[in-house]
Amino acid sequence: MIILQWYFSDRIVLWSSGAKIVTREQFPKLHDIIERIVARNNLPKPKIAVITTNMPNAFATGKGPKSSVVAVTTGILDLLDIEELEGVLAHELTHIRNRDVLVLTLASVFSTVAWYLMQFGFYGGMGYGYGGGSRDRNNGGGMILVIIGAMLTWIISFLIIRAISRYREFAADRGSAQLTGKPVKLANALMKISGTMKQVPTKDLRRVEGLNAFFIVPAVTGSTIGNLFSTHPPLEKRIQKLMEMEASMS
Amino acid sequence: MSFFRKFRKSINNNKPKTDSDAIFSLSSAYITLETKLGLKNTGRCAVSLKSVSGMHFSEMKNDIQRFLDASKAEFELSYNIVTDSYGYLWVILQGKSMEDILAQLIAVGDTIQDKGFSSHLLAAVFEFSDEGKNNNNKKHRQYLIYNYKYNKFYPFVPIGQEIRNTEEEMRIMAEIADEIPFERDMTLWYPLWDLPLEP
Repeated sequence: MIILQWYFSDRIVLWSSGAKIVTREQFPKLHDIIERIVARNNLPKPKIAVITTNMPNAFATGKGPKSSVVAVTTGILDLLDIEELEGVLAHELTHIRNRDVLVLTLASVFSTVAWYLMQFGFYGGMGYGYGGGSRDRNNGGGMILVIIGAMLTWIISFLIIRAISRYREFAADRGSAQLTGKPVKLANALMKISGTMKQVPTKDLRRVEGLNAFFIVPAVTGSTIGNLFSTHPPLEKRIQKLMEMEASMS
Repeated sequence: MSFFRKFRKSINNNKPKTDSDAIFSLSSAYITLETKLGLKNTGRCAVSLKSVSGMHFSEMKNDIQRFLDASKAEFELSYNIVTDSYGYLWVILQGKSMEDILAQLIAVGDTIQDKGFSSHLLAAVFEFSDEGKNNNNKKHRQYLIYNYKYNKFYPFVPIGQEIRNTEEEMRIMAEIADEIPFERDMTLWYPLWDLPLEP
């Protein structure tokens, strides 16, 4: 099951996202950018796919460096300038170089096994529970231990997968910074994609102060609410790390 | 390494900073900006506050003028006081060294606070020049803004009519955010367009 999942991962992802492999004639610029990065860094060139949607996004998939696909949406092509796009593509190429699909598939082996054990134990345990009789009750106790064990394994491996995946993102950011030498461009791209770019205000401080004077309590700025409900602290972290790399390069 | 940085940061954040402490931290951070980003301090800075009519306010204005006139010769300082279209009073200082203008600006801020106008204080602005490194030798002004309400600095790099260079601003953040009280929430980086600092 897991092996199948890994083996077909690229095809499943491409099929479910509606990505179409594109030739150099269709998207010459995109091919150019990727060829420049792979040529400079001695990486195999992946296939390139495009998804027609306004959502700005990009991903990489594939079993190994030789048979990989980098997919981008038309939205991201419109949103980013060439250097920013280069940063994003270098990030995806690093995912490929680091074999992150394989790493995450392997990491999910435990959680998948634990998940099946849990299911199996749960339904199995139900059956025993209503059976009655001392021998069965002993069995039920054992079953409960299995369920708890599997549950713990599942929770822990779930957390570990999250941690690995976060770490891999940071690693890919770092890789992108090394490949392009311009971490600030990737930081810019991340801000544009997440819409943070629009949050840096253009409204004059004096005008904002003027508005606040009308209220006894200062008007709540967007950020306070944003912070409370923000689901993406990692973005700030990623940008912070990228800017630290930028600082160390200069 | 990062542990110590975090540790230091948490100490910095817990320490109750006064405006003068916070502003004076620029006396080392401006060197970082010059060596790391090639941003040269122009010797110009300004403090702005909401102008009101009334005797006390004009008295304070006179006090500032008297004080600056007195220190003019000693520090080779020139100054200018203007009111902008928003009704904010700007005390603009031009001096020889960063240390001098910092000390003068802090003194002006103290005078304003002593006269009971601390709630009127808006911002202190420090001007830098990129010496033409970005745009074929055309010098661009970059600014650090100190917000008196939040007691924090943030960068402001205008490149056109209501357009700012966020990339350059983030570079500034990366270099000096650990050195001075810095506003890390970018949604509070309110710009000050058409600064009256130009001579």
